[in-house]
Amino acid sequence: MATKKPEQFDRVDWSELSESRRFDLSINSIGMLVATLPLALLWLYDYQFVGEREATFQAIGLSRNLDPLDYFFVFTLFLFFFYLILPLYQNPRMTRYYWKEFRRNRPAVVSLGWLGIVFVGGLIGPLLISAPEQSILTGHQPPVFLSIDEANVANCVGEVVNGRCQGTWQHPLGTTRGGKDVFAGIVYGMTISMQIAFITTTIVAAIGITFGTVSAYAGGWVDEVMMRFVDIILSFPTFLMFLLILYIYGAGLGMFILVFSAFAWGGTARYVRSKSLSVSEEEFIKATRISGASTYRVVRKHVVPNVASSIITQLTLLIPGFLLAEAQLAFLGIGDSAVPSWGQLISAGRSDLAFAPWIVLSPGIVLFLTILAFNFIGDALLDALNPEAEAESA
Amino acid sequence: MTEEPLLSVRDLKKHYPIRKGLLNRQVGAARAVDGISFDIAPGETLGLVGESGCGKSTAATSIVRLEEPTGGEVIFNGGGRSGATRNADGTHPNDVTRFDDRELKAFRRDAQMIFQDPSSSFDPRMSVGGAVAEMLQIHGMSDRHRRRAIVEDLLERVGLSPEDYDRYPHEFSGGQKQRIALARALVLNPELIVADEPVSALDVSIQAEILDLIADLQSEFDLSLLFISHDMSVIREICDRVAVMYLGEIVEIGPTDRVFADPQHPYTEALLSAIPTPDPRSTAEGIELTGTVPSPTNPPSGCRFHTRCHRVIQPDDVDLDQSSWRGLLNLRDALAADSVDVDQIRENFRTGTDTGATPDAVKGQIRREFDLEETISSDEMESLLDAALDEALGDDLDAAAATLSERVTTPCEERVPQRTSHEPGHESACHLHERDRSAPPNPADD
Amino acid sequence: MSTRQPLLEVEDLTTTFSTDNGELTAVDGVDFSVDEGETVCIVGESGSGKTVATESVTRIVKEPPGRVRGSVRFKSRDLLEMSEPELREIRGYEIAHIFQNPQEAMNHCYTVGWQIVEALQIHRDVSDEEARAKAIDLMDKVGIANASSRFDDYPHEFSGGQKQRVMIAMALVGDPDLLIADEPTTALDVTVQAQILRLLDDLQEEFDMGILFVTHDLGVVAEIADRIVVMYAGKVMERGDVLDIFERPAHPYTQQLLNCLPEIGGKKGGIPGTLPDPLDPPDGCRFAPRCEHAVDACVTGDQPEEIEVNPGQRASCVHYRPGRDDSVVRDGIPDSTADGEEVSSADD
Repeated sequence: MATKKPEQFDRVDWSELSESRRFDLSINSIGMLVATLPLALLWLYDYQFVGEREATFQAIGLSRNLDPLDYFFVFTLFLFFFYLILPLYQNPRMTRYYWKEFRRNRPAVVSLGWLGIVFVGGLIGPLLISAPEQSILTGHQPPVFLSIDEANVANCVGEVVNGRCQGTWQHPLGTTRGGKDVFAGIVYGMTISMQIAFITTTIVAAIGITFGTVSAYAGGWVDEVMMRFVDIILSFPTFLMFLLILYIYGAGLGMFILVFSAFAWGGTARYVRSKSLSVSEEEFIKATRISGASTYRVVRKHVVPNVASSIITQLTLLIPGFLLAEAQLAFLGIGDSAVPSWGQLISAGRSDLAFAPWIVLSPGIVLFLTILAFNFIGDALLDALNPEAEAESA
Repeated sequence: MTEEPLLSVRDLKKHYPIRKGLLNRQVGAARAVDGISFDIAPGETLGLVGESGCGKSTAATSIVRLEEPTGGEVIFNGGGRSGATRNADGTHPNDVTRFDDRELKAFRRDAQMIFQDPSSSFDPRMSVGGAVAEMLQIHGMSDRHRRRAIVEDLLERVGLSPEDYDRYPHEFSGGQKQRIALARALVLNPELIVADEPVSALDVSIQAEILDLIADLQSEFDLSLLFISHDMSVIREICDRVAVMYLGEIVEIGPTDRVFADPQHPYTEALLSAIPTPDPRSTAEGIELTGTVPSPTNPPSGCRFHTRCHRVIQPDDVDLDQSSWRGLLNLRDALAADSVDVDQIRENFRTGTDTGATPDAVKGQIRREFDLEETISSDEMESLLDAALDEALGDDLDAAAATLSERVTTPCEERVPQRTSHEPGHESACHLHERDRSAPPNPADD
Repeated sequence: MSTRQPLLEVEDLTTTFSTDNGELTAVDGVDFSVDEGETVCIVGESGSGKTVATESVTRIVKEPPGRVRGSVRFKSRDLLEMSEPELREIRGYEIAHIFQNPQEAMNHCYTVGWQIVEALQIHRDVSDEEARAKAIDLMDKVGIANASSRFDDYPHEFSGGQKQRVMIAMALVGDPDLLIADEPTTALDVTVQAQILRLLDDLQEEFDMGILFVTHDLGVVAEIADRIVVMYAGKVMERGDVLDIFERPAHPYTQQLLNCLPEIGGKKGGIPGTLPDPLDPPDGCRFAPRCEHAVDACVTGDQPEEIEVNPGQRASCVHYRPGRDDSVVRDGIPDSTADGEEVSSADD
């Protein structure tokens, strides 16, 4: 069949086009696969061939060890990159529009900058700064430009003026009782916070979106059972559960993330369900269905993206809760003291609050700012991603 | 069969079950569409008109199987399916309601739909070009560049520019979005387009543009159109034939100019006379429909329009003027439904006036509320009414209803009217025409 | 109708809204008046500012972000200079409003009767029994069948048309002198619309109200209006008696708007182009960018002054300026083979 102008819709010979569905992968999915494969291989190698006590990269002379949490963290970073950042780059028009809306909220822009610092600091910081180490002799060093009574420090790193030990750039934010550098502690805490933020969000989003859309589209008794299960999840005493697990298995950061995110997706699932139901009533869903698209395609291409953009806000507001929970547990002494989180740092300084307040204040302020930043950004995202507002601006 | 219709709808039904209780037992059904039949010839535009809640949109979605119809047949002969004959078991091979997934997907290429609300008809997170191209992708066109070329060409044909491909829905006005919706409906090169109120949400100056575009595209690509609207002037503009729906049924169908010039069914007549004409000099008093549209869950018996009709048939030996007859019927129904609150009326007289609640005053009030005169013109009916009102005042509404029901009856509520033909292709379902088919009533004399 | 007293005189009404993107002028220096017992229609498409204009009259626009300037004289008192309590005395009492969507204007937690009684008791010191009797009387007046037994029904038990009737009953509690009706029939079916329009007509006679009616539907306008004000993009394009506007529309916008109607025009294609950006309106005539008769003078300066084209009919179009040839726009009159013929053809 010789079609002269195949680029016109009424000249398409549909019988020519094979109906066989090739598995059509988007560039994002290909990228994700390419990136995840080495990671999986590395994990396999680590799991199979590297001894329990050996560091992952010992074979090439590096002492860096990766635990499962790190693998998962990197995986979520890949997800984040390929399904959030890359699409923004691929759709510059939409990105510009969102940015224009987002930019209106000044505090949110500042917050984004702050979170950028925390993110980059958490990612690169540990590579540049060595982990804070115990050094009893240099405990309670004051931050730079501040001073402390000489009686409180065993060995002043800086100058001693008028009987007061002056802070130095060696420890810009001072040290803890054990001599751990507070600045380094905060930087390492950034990694922990980012891990908490990314991993919990991924788990909550994955379970919440799946559960919510399946429930919405299945309907009937499936829907009923699934939603009652959500009720149970929502009314579950997560904290007590965590205490129980803590006594049985110990309380690593991984366990904390697992337990808390496993019981935090209830609200998200419920939200996703109601949002999916309302989105599926929209005319563009009908228009896609009338074109012959399968339910799977409708859900994946239209329902999930539209739902996702509104649950991003919800997830952003969920993160501060996790960070605070971690800090609270650490402060109460229930956390894993080996994890260099901000909470652990705060709890390390609580007894020295009278004469060395920086140990509590520095990580405290950082934690406070981070939580505030997430809240501001959540607010701004709500405005920027709100589809109703878009419709009105038309 | 010399001229095979593109689409033939036969006795199509869509009932929404109403469930109650713990076990979700079905207690009834809202009969949104209750047995409609019509044909659409290739290249023809059929208008489906009616007020909100008459089931016209449900009819549309059931025809294209966006919702599963409860019963009936939708035979679609387009897309190389022509010439098929019925199977031995009476089913039709082209019956859309029986299509399996593969057939249905092929059918999707041949029948498309346009929706009413431009603000929700596009995914806010997808470029409009992408939304149109997605249709092609779904049907197996995997060549991205070819998809883009087709869509860009099509965008130009509906009056936009190829550069609009990458823009997002929020960047377009309502009229432009409706153009893109047309492009999306056209891109698979269908033979039938179902347009569900495509211009209702637009300003009048934009409406004209879009209607023009639809007409142009229709003639260019030889499309058949099922055009759904509540707006009679839009229907008149674009449709070859029109079907008037009331409460899930088609009451009249015929060529547009004939239906507008010589409406046969009283409902069509009332609907037409209700359209405000943009002519300040016209003083014609329209026909005023009283009451409200009954619930589709429990539609009136017989002719569904009889509860509001201004031409309800009276028994042979009764000759009241229509407003009194209407009033009597309404009073009878209200008494039977227990919705006449005699105590309340008494109470109002006690507090609101000095005269007090004398029986005559109360009766007068009831008559006023049901638009009945002080004395109605037929003595027999007057005495019957008076007796019924006395019983009502004695708080025996059932007896009052029974009294009235003895004589206040109409064939309209007893039998479902059959479709009668007035001239080729112009049919209506009304007892008036069944009765005196030889002498059709002149709609001009009221 | 000139013997009637002006009831409402609006002069240089300007309503602006401050938005994130700057000052948005929704209504830009608009004048109009309503006489006692007269129906004035403000006609315009979406974005013309017609609704904001009427909401500015009793200042029910939200302030801020809105800001209303100019003068609104109602029975020779300036509403814009009144305090909020004084205005409240007038709103819903001397000037009543009915809106497009009766669903949203009603409280679904209370019975319909209760809501009418409440509206009544806000303004008048009447006993519960009297209020009840009066409310039922009003419900009866607005054509709610079986009013006394429907008094205790809740809004969801009423259909859309009945709800609009109830809204009208509520508007009538204060025996208003002016009824502002903002697209009261747009959400209703045509048959119900016809009922409501007839009802308004009857009530106008009975209560001797002035009605300021906002609509986009020219069919409705032809049915009820005495005088018409045509708005476009926040400005008045043309005003005049209903017959003049329909039979001799002077402004190109009015002409083209009428042409869009299938019953009149026959000219296909609507009005090309889109409404100007209200944040940055064009110089000169607001309609100039879409006008087929636009000349250089149309796109400079302000909106052209209104010029009397016929007695009582004024259009804001440069082509009617003295010394200009106005035949270009006069030719745009629909069906204008000859004026005389047109009048006769409109009779059937």
